[in-house]
Amino acid sequence: MARVGVFICHCGTNISGAVDVARVVEAAQKMPMVVIASDNKYTCSEPGQASIRQAIVSNKLNRVVIAACSPRMHEPTFRKAVSAAGLNPYLLEIANIREQCSWVHSHDREKATAKAIELVKMAVAKVIRHEPLYPREVPVTKRALVIGGGITGIQAALDIANAGHEVVLLEQEPSIGGRMAQLDKTFPTLDCSACILTPKMVDVANHPKIRLLTYAEIKEVRGFVGNFKVEITQKARKVDYSKCTGCGTCWQKCPEKTPSEFDLGLGKRPSIYIPFAQAVPTKPVIDTDSCRYIKYRQWLAAGEQGKKPPECRICEKICPTGSIAWDQEPQTITEEFGAIVVATGFQVYDHRHYEEYGGGAYPDVISGMQLERLMNASGPTGGEIVRPSDGTHPKTVAFVCCVGSRDQAKGRTYCSKVCCMYTAKHAIMLKEHDPDVQCYIFYIDVRTGGKDYEEFYLRTLDDAGAIYIKGRPSKIYRDGKKMIVLGEDALMGRPIELAADLVVLATGMEPRTGADKLAQKLNISYNTYHFLVEAHPKLRPVETQTDGIFVAGACVGPRDIPESVAQGSAAAAKVAGLFSSDTLVTDPITSVVNRERCTGCLLCVAICPYKAIDCETTRDTRVVAVVNESLCKGCGLCVGACRPKAIDLRGFTSQQILEEVNSLWS
Amino acid sequence: MIETIRNKAKEWLEKNDGGCVIGYERASDGMTARPVFIYKPYMVGSLIFDETCVHNLSKYLLNRRGLKTAIVVKPCDSRGINLLINEHQLDRESIYVIGVVCPGMKDAHFGRIEDRPLSKCRVCLHHTPAVYDVLVGEPQPETASRDYSDVARIEGISIHERNAFWKEQFERCIRCYGCRQVCAGCYCQECFVDELDPLWVGIRSGPEDNWIWNIGRAFHLSARCIGCGECERVCPVGIPLMLANRKLEKESADLFDFEPGMDAGTAPPFATFLKEETLEKVE
Repeated sequence: MARVGVFICHCGTNISGAVDVARVVEAAQKMPMVVIASDNKYTCSEPGQASIRQAIVSNKLNRVVIAACSPRMHEPTFRKAVSAAGLNPYLLEIANIREQCSWVHSHDREKATAKAIELVKMAVAKVIRHEPLYPREVPVTKRALVIGGGITGIQAALDIANAGHEVVLLEQEPSIGGRMAQLDKTFPTLDCSACILTPKMVDVANHPKIRLLTYAEIKEVRGFVGNFKVEITQKARKVDYSKCTGCGTCWQKCPEKTPSEFDLGLGKRPSIYIPFAQAVPTKPVIDTDSCRYIKYRQWLAAGEQGKKPPECRICEKICPTGSIAWDQEPQTITEEFGAIVVATGFQVYDHRHYEEYGGGAYPDVISGMQLERLMNASGPTGGEIVRPSDGTHPKTVAFVCCVGSRDQAKGRTYCSKVCCMYTAKHAIMLKEHDPDVQCYIFYIDVRTGGKDYEEFYLRTLDDAGAIYIKGRPSKIYRDGKKMIVLGEDALMGRPIELAADLVVLATGMEPRTGADKLAQKLNISYNTYHFLVEAHPKLRPVETQTDGIFVAGACVGPRDIPESVAQGSAAAAKVAGLFSSDTLVTDPITSVVNRERCTGCLLCVAICPYKAIDCETTRDTRVVAVVNESLCKGCGLCVGACRPKAIDLRGFTSQQILEEVNSLWS
Repeated sequence: MIETIRNKAKEWLEKNDGGCVIGYERASDGMTARPVFIYKPYMVGSLIFDETCVHNLSKYLLNRRGLKTAIVVKPCDSRGINLLINEHQLDRESIYVIGVVCPGMKDAHFGRIEDRPLSKCRVCLHHTPAVYDVLVGEPQPETASRDYSDVARIEGISIHERNAFWKEQFERCIRCYGCRQVCAGCYCQECFVDELDPLWVGIRSGPEDNWIWNIGRAFHLSARCIGCGECERVCPVGIPLMLANRKLEKESADLFDFEPGMDAGTAPPFATFLKEETLEKVE
């Protein structure tokens, strides 16, 4: 026999402001199987919880209904309270009379009260049908996967490894380092990017707990928190890393040169290459798109059609360790992890989308990242800032802010956050490189939120003498050797026409191409721009809606280096927290299959977003569905899809739902 | 045509000891057809095929799961086999499908065969079976244009009129469940109307309970009904069940470009989620 206690919360005036709580209490006392009904100013407070515990004991209650806020808010709190009084925590039902009643019906006390009574009635009808549920424990694999070897991923990997756990750091490019490796100096302190990054890269390479997987990609992710199974594709490097010593002979002798991705097309690299001098690992890969011998092999395979490419093989001939492996193919590695940190970072917005700025056709209209490479001592020009068109030194440089940011016409509404600061840095650096340079900066607003950022920006004006012009230029075109920037000085209200030697577009950040595909594999959300979505933007910034998968850095939204590093560490702290116990408790609210009713149509298998349903054969040779309770999230899709109603969701059984609905008639 | 069917059935029975051929024979009225189960090669002489072979025999396959069975099917019936394979109820290897090109079926009333083909045959698109091991007859081209004039009739009236129309139809239902028993897509271990805990549908055949049964049946067949029309044919009180089925068939074709049972592999729309799918077409 069910003995139900009903506890109704005022929530200060949040509920009692719109609902006559006394009348709800009175109505609840008359409901079937209700032994006691009472109210409380704040049920979630310690005195409120104590009164529930006491009522359970003194009235021998075996079912509890709490009419308060959304179960998303306090269900865990009240489960603990009920459990403390010796009751199974799942013999509790929450009637949401705040979000679903008082807040939305504040204008009509009469109807709000009537609705609150009905919500309580439904909860009582349902809770009578509740059964005790018991959580299960699953083991945790204390091994983390960090996806993305930029500064965020490096920081996360180091912190997890230093907490004593094994880490696999996965990077799709031949070297870790990410975008930060491409930068020259970093604002606002102007310390050299490589000088602060490369020691960390070396730490990663030498850490006994970290395994590096470069030139690799995620193929498939299965499993759940504590027990992920990840298939990783190791792309073919055509170099045997077990033999290669990274001596560098091959990349010095390779005769084929192709535009360097790392230098954003401003310089060239050989076909067998490391992306940059401080690359980690310092072992090369062969670019199969440009390598002469690979082309020769493809020509042979295609039946010797067309012109015969040279049968080069120089790298193979000069390699002292015989490391060149022409027949190396991509490999699939399967690894098990307990947690995954996604730190795939960003890429620079491609300014070819801006037809009005030349659509990428003018060599002297470059992106901020390209300027970084030109400034960099190990860049294509050895740190000499020259015009890509003719190699002369620019004297008048125009900067255009918010290219690919804050521009609804280009579908990029968000502010990329770092461009104002890096443009300020560029103006200072240019002046340092050549005191004769005059910088003009076209801006919408100058945003300098950050420690010492505003002071840094002021240096641009005071020390570097840069001239800021408010307004987004309407057009950039070439006139002889000069680039003409047409715009409006919005503060003076007059048109402006500037003849510059070099134009630098402060292009914004966007997620890496393929971030959406990766998110789909990981079963985490992404927004319209394909930035990944955190579980809560303020309170759970590095968690996702999928337990055990964390996000950090610029893959979530525009972030500068300090923020990215902080997020990498935050994600690592979350992983270390997860790994602090040997087992995880799983929610018992899962689907369960009635094998007698199941027809084995297996629609549920196809429909389950968590791949939690499989099939098995019964002793009378029927095929039936079976739920893996560790994988099941209790979403209930299978319940809706099941025609014979063979699947039920624990805690939300068909019978329980039907009782709720039926209670409204009785 | 009939000789081909008999020869193929005989050949198959001779090769498959213990097998059974499910086909049609002449009923005792000497005019209509009835299903027949043939286990011995010498008995194939009773097999017939003509415009009176209205029954969809594919449901019988469920009684012979795992057993060697040959079956005579029309194009619509053949889609039932694909549906059942798709839903993991049948094993293609154990079935030998004698597919017959369909001339259109005719019903018999008052001791004579009607002049017009059945209404389902008048709007039929596929005249060659979707699956077969042996094809009897010359393959016929598909009917290119879809004819949903029957559905348009109920779509054209207001929601209240439609509600009234169906209420009136379902009022006649005696809940004999003939529609369910004959349907190739109805094979649950326990139908939702038979369930007692919870009791989804009341046991009496009152208006509300009839409503829930008939709507529930139609929805359980959405994107699954193969259009064989057996439910409507067997209904003793003449409820136009195919009209509801056809409406849902049209929706699944329009929204998801899906025709159930045309092959055994395509995942049903319920099992897939594609980003391109939108409900824009629904007003």
